[in-house]
Amino acid sequence: MENNFTSTSDYVASPELLASVNVAIALEKPLLIKGEPGTGKTMLAQAVANSLGKKLIIWNIKSTTKAQDGLYMYDTIQRLYDGQFGEEGVDDIARYIKLGKLGEAFEQEEQVILLIDEIDKADLEFPNDLLWELDQMEFYIHETKRTVKAKQRPIVIITSNAEKELPDAFLRRCIFHYIDFPDETLMEEIVRTHYPDVEANLLKNAMDVFYQIRSIRDIRKKPSTSELIDWINALQLNGIEPERIRAELPFVGVVVKKDEDLETVKNYVS
Amino acid sequence: MFHKFFYELKEKGLDISLSEWLTLQNALDKGLAGSSLTQFYYLARSILVKSETEFDKFDTAFMEHFKDVEKDTEVGAEMMRWLDKSEEMKALLEKEEKKWLDTPQDDIQIDKEDVETKFKDRLRDQDSEHNGGNFWIGTMGKTAFGNSGNFVGGIRVGGAPGNQSAFEVIGARKYRDFRNDRVLDNRQFQQAFRRLRQYSTRLDIPKTELDLNGTIDKTCNNGGLLEIVMEKPRKNAVKLLLLMDSGGTMIPYSSLMNRLFHAVNKSNHFKDVKCYYFHNCIYSKVYKTPECENGDWVDTEWMFRNLDSDYKVLIVGDAAMAPEELYSETGNYRGPNGGLSGWEWLNQMKKHYKKIVWMNPKMAPRPAPWREAETAIQKLIPMYLLSVDGLNRAMEELMRKK
Repeated sequence: MENNFTSTSDYVASPELLASVNVAIALEKPLLIKGEPGTGKTMLAQAVANSLGKKLIIWNIKSTTKAQDGLYMYDTIQRLYDGQFGEEGVDDIARYIKLGKLGEAFEQEEQVILLIDEIDKADLEFPNDLLWELDQMEFYIHETKRTVKAKQRPIVIITSNAEKELPDAFLRRCIFHYIDFPDETLMEEIVRTHYPDVEANLLKNAMDVFYQIRSIRDIRKKPSTSELIDWINALQLNGIEPERIRAELPFVGVVVKKDEDLETVKNYVS
Repeated sequence: MFHKFFYELKEKGLDISLSEWLTLQNALDKGLAGSSLTQFYYLARSILVKSETEFDKFDTAFMEHFKDVEKDTEVGAEMMRWLDKSEEMKALLEKEEKKWLDTPQDDIQIDKEDVETKFKDRLRDQDSEHNGGNFWIGTMGKTAFGNSGNFVGGIRVGGAPGNQSAFEVIGARKYRDFRNDRVLDNRQFQQAFRRLRQYSTRLDIPKTELDLNGTIDKTCNNGGLLEIVMEKPRKNAVKLLLLMDSGGTMIPYSSLMNRLFHAVNKSNHFKDVKCYYFHNCIYSKVYKTPECENGDWVDTEWMFRNLDSDYKVLIVGDAAMAPEELYSETGNYRGPNGGLSGWEWLNQMKKHYKKIVWMNPKMAPRPAPWREAETAIQKLIPMYLLSVDGLNRAMEELMRKK
């Protein structure tokens, strides 16, 4: 296989995740990634791009994003105004067609990675509106009667926070992977890729407290991987003694964000 | 290949389409499963299963299918091929000449065929968990099957980190907690809420749409010189007030309530959504959080003043309370009553808001006069069972013009 994704120096992926990515690439299907917030869903696309040495195009989805935004925009109003004053090239509609992120990915000469980030943020019908485009990797610009077809089929990675259920028709076309919360061994590896020379004792103490916090049943918002990484950074920078971590919970606000949770954690841990 | 597996997955309630199945066949043709069962497990799962809540169903079907291998010769041969090449079997052959700590009491000789056959026989016959024995598949024992045992070169079932085989993963059943045999999913809820729509342009949002008629008028007035007029896009003007019961009898429905709440929150087409909580019945205060703690509340009258009568009200509760909780002026045993009984407060609600419905997760399917409070409230406020169908009918009621 010419495209084969492996863990990179700054992204540690579980073997199952690696397999899913490679299956998606081989089958030319979009890869749908779900998982708890902070498990590195978005970073995955960057890592795939780095590992395969390809360009990454990111389409960030917001609640107001429409499928059409990703294809192209026809700036009619600009054309109208230009028409008033007989500007040059007004009769060339193509001048007023601006390609969106999907269109941009299709037009690239080289194969690119297209990340459709947080697809569940958009309207309920949004994924359905992209079925054809993602299947056939082409769309039609009515105004210019031109078909934009992917020169090199992009590798599509889609992330979702499961805020909304995605439509079945869309799901059927995807390869699905759920990123499990990393266990302690994998977590240690992940932290070490970020801070290779973190002191073993500090790491162990912080991770113990971290997993203990996650195991508290009443906790409202479980801390995520990225928060642990920030916390370890804060502990390191301030030269906190490893022994003090459990007793004093320094900078615990980095990991626990809700007032109620802070109380619970203090009661449980110390 | 493996048509039986396909139907077994379907039987387990996984909604797998033919196209997904063909994708899997395609993947197998491309050799993506390699020659290992573990890889096949992950490959099939990533193609066929699209939600972590369904992983457990998949695991169960996968496990069962393997047990049936013997009966199905076609698939059996295929599975055996994988088994032959699986890492377990390789390790087995390599370790053949290794000595083991104790004399195993089951099989002295390690013969690959034999171990396999026995394993399957035993899988079929065994119906419970076994630890420390020397015959059944289990842990810490001396048979050739199971894990953490001291029979070198047997078949490992479950456990043991590092070299995770498909069955170990399944054995751990770590996706069991994700499983929800969902009667209602979030999407269906959200679809129902979409019915709450009433378009209006009288909203404070930027003018982003071209007003064609306006533009033509203005341009004509302007002597043919273009003058563009923009207008506000039409927006949903529906405002929703959600009142949720978080009393003790509602605890069994907390996940259902949670999903409903999320569906409302994620339905971003409302002009405004307000959510308050109550305990059993609405009295003079409504609470800001589901914990219904004293002090963390607003006056119900404040709510009347600030949330005008155009708000569409959705009350969710089981209406299960003693009659005195509804009718007595001191019926609220957790907080103040404001001199009125719960019944009178509900009447106030009904009077103030033009549209109000009650969703009940355990509504009696037919008239149940012994549920006194429920029957009374039902007469006052249209009540529906909290299901997709009920929600749809409630939404219709909320949108119905008087």
